[in-house]
Amino acid sequence: MTENVYVVSAAMIPFGKHRTSSYVGLAVSPLIDALQSAGVQKSDVDAVYVGHAYGGMMTGQRITKEIGLGTVPTVNIDNACSGGATALHEAWMAIGQGLIDVAVVIGVEKLTQFGGGTLPLSPEDREVKQGIVMPAVYAMRATRYLHDTEATVEDLALVSVKARRHGALNPFAQFRKEVTVEEVLAARSIADPLTLLMCCPTGDGAAVIVLASERARNRLGTPRGMRVAASVLHSGQVAEGYRDMTKPEITYESAHDAYAQAGIGPGELDMIETHDAFSIAELVYYEALGLTEKQSAVALLRDGRTTFGGDVVVNPSGGLLAKGHPVGASGVAQVAEAFWQLTGQAGARQVTDARWALTHVTGGGTAGLDHGACTIHIFEAA
Amino acid sequence: MTVQPEAQISAPIADLESDSLLGDFPEGPRLVGTLCAQCGQTMIGTRVACSTCVSRDVSRIALPATGVLYSFTRLHVGGTDVRPIGYVDLDDGVRTLADLREDGAPLQPDVRVALGVDGDGWFFAPAADD
Ligand SMILES: [Zn+2]
Repeated sequence: MTENVYVVSAAMIPFGKHRTSSYVGLAVSPLIDALQSAGVQKSDVDAVYVGHAYGGMMTGQRITKEIGLGTVPTVNIDNACSGGATALHEAWMAIGQGLIDVAVVIGVEKLTQFGGGTLPLSPEDREVKQGIVMPAVYAMRATRYLHDTEATVEDLALVSVKARRHGALNPFAQFRKEVTVEEVLAARSIADPLTLLMCCPTGDGAAVIVLASERARNRLGTPRGMRVAASVLHSGQVAEGYRDMTKPEITYESAHDAYAQAGIGPGELDMIETHDAFSIAELVYYEALGLTEKQSAVALLRDGRTTFGGDVVVNPSGGLLAKGHPVGASGVAQVAEAFWQLTGQAGARQVTDARWALTHVTGGGTAGLDHGACTIHIFEAA
Repeated sequence: MTVQPEAQISAPIADLESDSLLGDFPEGPRLVGTLCAQCGQTMIGTRVACSTCVSRDVSRIALPATGVLYSFTRLHVGGTDVRPIGYVDLDDGVRTLADLREDGAPLQPDVRVALGVDGDGWFFAPAADD
């Protein structure tokens, strides 16, 4: 990349069950708020990138037309849970290559349209036809992880306890009540060994960020923000035979590339928003993101090294487990959290002196792949 | 690092609460529109922001009950019924898609039309006084 790219504003609605709002109703307010807080007029915007999975045709244009933000390219991006972060990646590429100066990135999803239950997956997929659902994928990952390591089901519960404790401090979180290990274990089973409280809730959400080149940032005079130090998007690689489900290669490889691009290591990070769709994911991702050696994640969790006061705060927002996971919106919401943390706007959940942040979101259950997509971003306060 | 005020919370818009464009007004049932206090733009439907100037200083108004038929067609798809629909440019310039009734004057572009109400439904038909 030849140009530095900055996030200059973020806006978001609280994630939750917003049954009376459409995709447009979810996204228009944060769109206006993100533009206004950046001091960006709609005539300043060069392109719009919209991540969603279930919004239907022209989701982005339906949103932007409400404020007359037309003419410029609008790109609709479905990459399952990575859709929002993929939208950011595309915007970063366009600005970084000097093609455009200002881009709006929208992540939006309305899961209450499905009336509950697991996410609808593509009925064309071989394993989906056989009945696979996302909780089953992660439950099998958990079963193998508990078999291979000293981790216990109580540790899986502890991930949820931490997420809820963080989420209780976050006005944008869907769940704002703390839970105990006993409550998590006593919740109804979803896919053994995962209980309901070890699974992220479905819900609705929208988050918007504005990206600018250094040139535009100076012209707009935006006071605070963060530099995109790395933006990496990978797709899953097929395995016809053995795959170690506790070693998600797509995240290992994406993280490796992201650290190389940013020129830092995991030790520099002050906060991480990781894809904790199910509690086992957080443990596996401590290892994949290089916070610790393989099979040793549980020590980090038990010793409190990934919460406030620890080495690095993982999911200060409450993560997907507490904040909620409206799939196409989640990747942008993670970046909004990083923005507020790195600009000192995170209130009660502020990570002290946060300078470096990483966001990570994988997406998609597809037969033969670890995941369909993985997006990792690293940001530096600037 | 200086701690800043907390990030503002954006609010979702309850745009699915009513899917009807028809509203009750002092002058009777009318199509619902939105007027921007900032720039004067008039829009169809309930809006929370002006599509011209992005102001959120907007209010609900009754749209005119009369207008001009811009163009129309008779749909034969999806069954044996014939369904005439068209675009009506209301007298304040706002365009709306409308079901049409053609029991009065024949439909043709530029004919004047008026709003009719039938239970919860609404339609436009050639205006009697034209
Ligand atoms: Zn206006």
